[in-house]
Amino acid sequence: MGESESGSREVSRRSFIKASAATATGAAIVGAPAAIALERSSAKSPPPAVVSKPSGPLPSEPLVAYVRDAKRGEVTVVKGTTETTYRDPVLVERLVNTAGLEGGN
Amino acid sequence: MSSHREAPEISRDPVADNTDVYAFVSPDKPDTVTILSNFIPLEDPPGGPNFFEFGHDVLYSIYIDNDGDGVPEIAYKFTFESRVRNPNTFLYNTGPITSLEDPNWNKRQFYSVTHVEGADTTAYGTGNGNGLKARVLGRDLASPPCNIGPRSTPNYATLAQAAVHELPTGEKVFAGQRNDGFLVDLGAVFDLGDLRPFQNLHLIPSAAAPGVDALKTLNIHTIALQIPISRLTANGSRPTRQRDPNAVIGVWSAASRRRVRITNGRGEEHAESGPWVQVSRLGNPLFNEVIVPLGAKDRWNALYPVNDNAFLPRVQHPELGALLPVLYPHVFPKLAGIKAARADLVAILLTGIPPGLIPEFQNYTGPVLADQLRLNVAIPPSSKPSTLGLLGGDRAGFPNGRRVIDDVVSIELRAIAGATYPLVDKGYKPDAAAGLLTEGLAATTDRYLSTFPYLGTPRDGFDTPSS
Repeated sequence: MGESESGSREVSRRSFIKASAATATGAAIVGAPAAIALERSSAKSPPPAVVSKPSGPLPSEPLVAYVRDAKRGEVTVVKGTTETTYRDPVLVERLVNTAGLEGGN
Repeated sequence: MSSHREAPEISRDPVADNTDVYAFVSPDKPDTVTILSNFIPLEDPPGGPNFFEFGHDVLYSIYIDNDGDGVPEIAYKFTFESRVRNPNTFLYNTGPITSLEDPNWNKRQFYSVTHVEGADTTAYGTGNGNGLKARVLGRDLASPPCNIGPRSTPNYATLAQAAVHELPTGEKVFAGQRNDGFLVDLGAVFDLGDLRPFQNLHLIPSAAAPGVDALKTLNIHTIALQIPISRLTANGSRPTRQRDPNAVIGVWSAASRRRVRITNGRGEEHAESGPWVQVSRLGNPLFNEVIVPLGAKDRWNALYPVNDNAFLPRVQHPELGALLPVLYPHVFPKLAGIKAARADLVAILLTGIPPGLIPEFQNYTGPVLADQLRLNVAIPPSSKPSTLGLLGGDRAGFPNGRRVIDDVVSIELRAIAGATYPLVDKGYKPDAAAGLLTEGLAATTDRYLSTFPYLGTPRDGFDTPSS
């Protein structure tokens, strides 16, 4: 692994920590460098998602979030007639793990 | 054709498939411009029991660029709602439909029209549209039913005319089924570029024959607007001089779908979310169909006209221009000799024709390359219209906008074959065939109306097709 990659990894860890704190207060946007590699944070993880039966019909205008680029930690949130793409490695990691990718739940 | 099923993605989504656009100074009301935008290609008239209708999950847009920047300054946006009176019958109608309120009519459509004003710079990839001024001009406007047959829709022309609505700002609007007025011999043109009157000269020859009007018995869904000219020009005037800097407007239309669709799977309607994403557009007839290659057609549909610079090489060196001399050996030797970029086609399709090339005519909008119908609103309707438009000496016809009667296939075939190349190269003498190319079609008198919405009464499903 080269020096720059090692540097990115450090930034990535700091971003996760920062992101975890931000998520706890409701913020979802994380400033992170372009080449973030997703990896498990040393910070305490939230509890895993629980498999559930849908509680009712689809809402007419569902809020949809989809992972646009897992390696970059990009998630796009679609609501109403708007869509916004966020850099949120924590959320992306959680979604990726919940989907059973990378050995998640 | 002109843009029916022209691209892979949109060919699977008929209700959003924009097939033709027309824009012309209204012949019976010359202080207005009529814009028609067609959707849902190749409607077979007996196609029930769920007869054709606009997509209630599609946003239909008509755009006007009145300052030549390739970006709309004015838009009219249409959304539709379907309503079923009685879900416990399989019938579209339970008796004759004699009015738009008739209780026998079970599955109806209503729509809203919104006027949007302001330069929409989202087309440049900048801005978020927040500076635009939107005003709803009409709500719950009724569309007419489809033309089913003499028992169900006995007075169809009257019924459809009742669905012409007046808007508070002076526009007239109609949205519903019409006979498809586009003249084309689909079966021949897609059979290796055959033109039946000239097929004796084709690479794979057969005896010359008259053309076949392939859409004569098929219907379409039309959104029609008649708009005071003063509502369209940049300075709010009604220009009377063809060189007036406000005289030329660019017109195109589009259809958009929401970003996300989730199929419910419970017998309930699907759910949608997200911004509107353009999936179809149309300006000049045949642009995406003939100019844009198969691998780029879906992308073209998603782009705004201001981005059409990307397709300039395809206009400068059209594939069909190279094919004609191959398909018709020894017929187009001069066309085969053109190696320079086709500046004549760039003018016709992407910038408008500058002043000085054709006497008393221009529809130039400036250097921005954008596929739009360009209409000089100062040129009055012709008293003796030619179906060959400008090529027939009629300044009120295509490519000055487009009228329902214009034989755009013949006009564009002739232009690509070199008939318009002398506009930019005075020494060029076109092949004799270039000025004669035709599909050999003439519209029957019932294809068009003399008044709004100008496209003829749709064929009814009982009588069409006939045995």
